[in-house]
Amino acid sequence: MTTLAPTAPAAARRPRHPYLTALATARGRTGLALVGLVVLAGLLAPLLAGHPPTDQSGLTLAPVGTPGHPLGTDDLGRDLLSRLLHGIRADLGIIAVAVPLGAVLGCLLALAAAVHPAVDTAVQRAFDLILAFPGLILALAVTAVLGPGRLPVVLVIALAEIPVFGRLLRTGILAQRSREYVTAARVGGTSGRRILTRHVLPNAADPLVVQFAVSLTVAVFLEGAMSFLGVGVRPPEPTLGAVLSQSMPHLAQAPHFAAGPLVTVTALVLGLSLVAEALNREIRR
Amino acid sequence: MTELYPSAPSAVSRRTTLRAAGGGTLLLGLGLTGCRSAVEESAAPAVADAAGPRRGGTLTVAVNSDFTPSLLFAQSNQSLQQRLIYNTLTRYDDRLEPQPELATSWEYAADGRALTLKLRTGVVFHDGRPFTADDVIFAVKNLQNPVRAAQLRATAAAVTGFEKRGDHELVLKLAHPVNNLFDLFEFMIITDPGSVEEAVAGKRLNGTGPFSLTRWSPGTGLGLKRHEKYWQPGRPYLDGVEIRVVPQADALISSLRTGQSQLSYSVPGRNLATVAGVPGLVVSEYATGGGASYLGVNTSIAPLDDKTVRQALAWAVDRERILKQVLGGYGLASATPWPKSSPAFTEAGRTHYRHDPGKARELLRSAGHTRLDLPLLHVNLPGETALAEAVQYDLQQIGVHVTLEPTDAATAQKKLISQSMPALWAMGHSFAQVQPSTLAVSAYPFNAAKNTSRFRSEEYTRIVREAWTSRATGAGANALRQRVTDTLLDEAFIIDLAIRGSVQVASRKLRGATLNKFSYLNLDDAYLAG
Repeated sequence: MTTLAPTAPAAARRPRHPYLTALATARGRTGLALVGLVVLAGLLAPLLAGHPPTDQSGLTLAPVGTPGHPLGTDDLGRDLLSRLLHGIRADLGIIAVAVPLGAVLGCLLALAAAVHPAVDTAVQRAFDLILAFPGLILALAVTAVLGPGRLPVVLVIALAEIPVFGRLLRTGILAQRSREYVTAARVGGTSGRRILTRHVLPNAADPLVVQFAVSLTVAVFLEGAMSFLGVGVRPPEPTLGAVLSQSMPHLAQAPHFAAGPLVTVTALVLGLSLVAEALNREIRR
Repeated sequence: MTELYPSAPSAVSRRTTLRAAGGGTLLLGLGLTGCRSAVEESAAPAVADAAGPRRGGTLTVAVNSDFTPSLLFAQSNQSLQQRLIYNTLTRYDDRLEPQPELATSWEYAADGRALTLKLRTGVVFHDGRPFTADDVIFAVKNLQNPVRAAQLRATAAAVTGFEKRGDHELVLKLAHPVNNLFDLFEFMIITDPGSVEEAVAGKRLNGTGPFSLTRWSPGTGLGLKRHEKYWQPGRPYLDGVEIRVVPQADALISSLRTGQSQLSYSVPGRNLATVAGVPGLVVSEYATGGGASYLGVNTSIAPLDDKTVRQALAWAVDRERILKQVLGGYGLASATPWPKSSPAFTEAGRTHYRHDPGKARELLRSAGHTRLDLPLLHVNLPGETALAEAVQYDLQQIGVHVTLEPTDAATAQKKLISQSMPALWAMGHSFAQVQPSTLAVSAYPFNAAKNTSRFRSEEYTRIVREAWTSRATGAGANALRQRVTDTLLDEAFIIDLAIRGSVQVASRKLRGATLNKFSYLNLDDAYLAG
């Protein structure tokens, strides 16, 4: 008499979502931890910072460990810890708006391009036009028209990301369109719009998720570079790039001035890159 | 952008990082320092050299911005080459007394409406042509041309006639007496009339100076070689001069520390602590200052048309803190534009406005305001931004909430000249280091006829005119200068903050380098000791 093994619970048999699997790897966990740490610091900035980030004092370039100023002060006597935490907050606020905006607009344009060859040509030429300008040239052009501020930074990052996501999704759509399941759906009488949104888009989305993490990294750099060049967020509001820019004349006397934003940008970029790489490896498997 | 961000996530940031680094270089490269003033020659490092002057060698001078040929006849932020390639008619000594250069002697007519100049003989241009009175006539007429945008055009325009007495004697006839004619002679370079258009295009600079131009590489610098037929016998000692553009402050300091350059006047005050302890370098500060930082007020915008409000702003700013934190302590906190070397300088004027937020708030209330929201334009360079942020914070303490408007240097200059500044702006000015009347008739912010603040006052115009045309000396002249100062302090359309330090950083081997009052580098007697 044979005994049947007890049936395993349905939930245990269900394959784990590849994104979760990717994030559970050592690489993914390290990335998430680094990003989480930075994000948490930014979110808790008003609680963690003992001083308003723009309050000035006569305490110029105080060293690390000065009572009341754990990271010291900048050239105008402002608390560096407060400026760092609020700088993280400002940066995260910008990239949290700009990258999704660029991704959504890029994807919408790619979907629109898939509808008709004429639209495709128009969209691709528009992408070519944006891509003709390197990121910082684009930034300088936008700020020349709008002036410096938060909105131009968001616009520049979004603009730079639109063709990235647009081209990536278009490639995915072209690859998926030739697959049998699309032909079957079309033969079955499914409308072109429904095939695109319900069948093709979900199957072409994996690279977009990886690209999203990559684009967050690029956005950190772009915002930092714009603030560094003085065309980012208006002073005296701190951003990581702005604090780094302010520290440059004092590197020899006060290297700690630059250390905070440098370490933070490194941690954020490293974290996002690790997450992106973990997702990419899992999706390609 | 797809070509920059490949879909493989591992190759994310290399180019972006490089672009950011390049951007940083660009940022720090835009070394606009505003107008610069001259230094006192006596304050230059005087190190005796037992072996005597040494002939030969090439001096490398590090500057933070390039030569701008189109501004050859106006004061720009890089004027070092002017006295190397060209000569002026006279030069001031430490007591603001004119000394001979191409003019060997001069004599005013009794009524002050004519000046007879005796010109140096045996002077030749780099192309071998002899220098004559015609070259002086051309130089004056050239500065009268509005196209040249010379700040001293008003003074040049006061010269209405020329009487040549041979090749080396000239009478300048004046429409009215002016007391800053020697400021013009200190400022005005003597150029070759035949090649002036080539000069403003940067193609050919033909002068009588100790060095001739061998090359100008835009963005890189200038190369100069000794003028073998220079009018001073045995001079210059140096074989040549390299003016090298090093826009980034840290790189400029490194070039000095490593000996790649031996002289610079472009080290920002905040960076001087870095070079002060380097054994091979000498840091010298000069009493004439390097221009002044100020807060400009547009008097055509309410409520800044009320001088009580402007005075409130003047009381609100902490000049000592600005000097310490923004200028690195090099300079002089001052409510007036005058450096200590100016005949118009008084300690009472310098400290007329002190940091008194309580008094500022009181004045603001008396004018009917408890809160104001105003924009403030500044150049988006680190030092200028720090100045604007310091002013913004101080004004915020009295209820004046300022929105900063970072602007590129060229736009800021354009707005300054075209009188289209917003309510407030923070910049630097010069022209206070020579005759006080020059400031009020030549500098854009102070010009009585047409200034950036759009301040109009018959009284101010009259006082300035009187101070400019008066031939009074001693107590009489001081009284006129004091009236100009009093008007500037009372009307507060330009709120001076601090006189910037003018600092020379030089190799210990270098001897004899001096600047004139308009920051023209004089290397006639300079040499590199062994």
